[in-house]
Amino acid sequence: MYTQAIDVGPVDATASRSTTPQDDEFLKRIARDEKIEPQDPMPEAYRKTLIRQISQHAHSEVVGMLPEGGWITRAPSLKRKEILLAKVQDEGGHGLYLYSAAETLGVSRAELIDALHSGKAKYSSIFNYETATWADIGTIGWLVDGAAIMNQVPLCRCSYGPYARAMIRICKEESFHQRQGFDIVRTLCQGTPEQKAMAQESINRWWWPTLMMFGPHDADSPHTGQATAWGIKRITNDDLRQKFVDVTVPQAEFLGLTLPDPDLKWNAARGHYDIGRINWDEFRRVVNGDGPCNAERMHDRVKAFDDGAWVRDAAAAHAAKAAARYATSPDTRIAA
Amino acid sequence: MLPESTLLTLADTCLISGHRLSEWCGHGPALEEDIALTNTALDAIGQARALLQVVAARRSPAITEDALAYLREPAQFANLALAAAPNTDYAHTVLRSLLLAAWLVPVWDALGHSSDHDIAAIAGNAAKEARVQRRHARQWWVRFGDGTAESRRRAEAAVAALWPLTGELSAVRIPGVDPDAVLSAWWDAVQDAFAEATMPLPTAAPPLSGELAAQAAQWRHALLGEMQSLARQHPGARW
Amino acid sequence: MSAQPANPANLANPASRDWPLFEVFIRSKQGLDHKHVGSLHASDAAHAITLARDVYTRRQEGVSIWVVPSNAITASAPEQKAENFDPMASKIYRHPTFYDIPAEVGHM
Repeated sequence: MYTQAIDVGPVDATASRSTTPQDDEFLKRIARDEKIEPQDPMPEAYRKTLIRQISQHAHSEVVGMLPEGGWITRAPSLKRKEILLAKVQDEGGHGLYLYSAAETLGVSRAELIDALHSGKAKYSSIFNYETATWADIGTIGWLVDGAAIMNQVPLCRCSYGPYARAMIRICKEESFHQRQGFDIVRTLCQGTPEQKAMAQESINRWWWPTLMMFGPHDADSPHTGQATAWGIKRITNDDLRQKFVDVTVPQAEFLGLTLPDPDLKWNAARGHYDIGRINWDEFRRVVNGDGPCNAERMHDRVKAFDDGAWVRDAAAAHAAKAAARYATSPDTRIAA
Repeated sequence: MLPESTLLTLADTCLISGHRLSEWCGHGPALEEDIALTNTALDAIGQARALLQVVAARRSPAITEDALAYLREPAQFANLALAAAPNTDYAHTVLRSLLLAAWLVPVWDALGHSSDHDIAAIAGNAAKEARVQRRHARQWWVRFGDGTAESRRRAEAAVAALWPLTGELSAVRIPGVDPDAVLSAWWDAVQDAFAEATMPLPTAAPPLSGELAAQAAQWRHALLGEMQSLARQHPGARW
Repeated sequence: MSAQPANPANLANPASRDWPLFEVFIRSKQGLDHKHVGSLHASDAAHAITLARDVYTRRQEGVSIWVVPSNAITASAPEQKAENFDPMASKIYRHPTFYDIPAEVGHM
């Protein structure tokens, strides 16, 4: 699961202006759709922008384990329990692939995690909303993962090789996530009146935050141009959002669910659905730390990391002892 | 065919230990390890499902695996006490996995030859999964025993908490399975792991005391209270 | 990132708190080469093998795993890419399509 590119602008706008002959050559390579690999020359601003975007993406996957993870122990059937466990585990895997991609740019995972825990690094604000009911597990899969897939598929073609390869693996694994969510919502809609109401109430809460995942309107995204020139961003926020709305509205109709937007209607002239005004004040509030669960999510992440310190240290200490024993007497090494 | 009580002992042990393992998902000590431990949770829950499906189908009239998992009262569960022991810290989780998997490997191996063909088929697969869990737990046990002073202290605390629960293992009887052979294989595996971890091996635990059994029943009660909460709020619903 | 086990006492430098990085190679089925699939952190090589199984073969992607400490890999220099590899472009006679075989001769 993921997220919009929360903030894909260059770290330092002036640094991004191509000045050296090497940078001109770099832009020509991007224009030829050549992939950039870790050891290749690259402008410093490109490297920093990638580290920020990939690590935000990685943080989003790992923090994203929490809202759904809270329902693993309460999943209402054994089949759903297995599916949810496997899905949340996949998200951990996706975080791992992305941290690895970021590490090829010369930053350590420990530094990235420090940045998350100290509040310096951002993650997708969608995970700061509460998963109050089981229906939210379905909604997250159907809508949030659905929105994420819209965003991730173009990233499979992004200019940085390790990021593009991580995204290909992620998209392949992610293909079941949206389906299992839709399947949960569909089962609820075909269930008891209480279950159907649970599904509708959940959609009411998640619809607008999901649309916000695609990020600010293009007119308010000053950095999109640079990210596009660098081949990091392929499709604009508004285009992706529109695409998502256009495929999702008929799915909601199929389920017999109402999307909470009185202005939502088909625009025959445009060939697209029109939507109402997005509440960007809420978006900014949640991004800036004032969402329903920001504090809880960070608390859980930091606690898991801190509680795990002695475990990681024990493994490192044991490996050091075993390596020392092996160095002095290779014959005594015990194969694990 | 194996008696239902035997199948439920195995199914409930797997379900409850799988549930305990699943509590770590998203909270593990390292990202890689979070993913690894969740694999063992998925294996255990998968084994439980397979066994509960057999039990459910053999009931007359037939019921469902979920009716067995979500609608039975806690007192009707037949899990080993060890399976319900809380996670407390990673040393407790690892030791619980080691002690359980070291027992389950020889049990599944023996049941792989059972004349109850439904169970033999499940056991063949489960034996492989239990070996993975036993290896995973053994490797961590060695790192904790032979790691840092703190990890060793925590490993010792886990032994103090969990070892007495192993007294129950010698009382388990599974038709067609030689209990002495299972116990001796269990001892060998545990002894080997403790030796490499440089941890002193305790003497055989006495049969479960009434006090410990009551404690284990409380753990199970709390665990099932959470697990069954949503399903019980919606009687008759499909999910 | 060093392939040596991290020293847990050295907490000043955040990078030293990571387990060493390993590159993971998977043989997807018997008869095929091991292929690079990604990387992970582990306390030693044996640990890396077991973690690679859980991280990279959750969907039966493999039948065999190799792990290599990332810092044990020596790579060709990207700036020598042109001089290393461009000269091969002109050796077209190495390819079978360079040669005309009369149709009467048939498949060769």
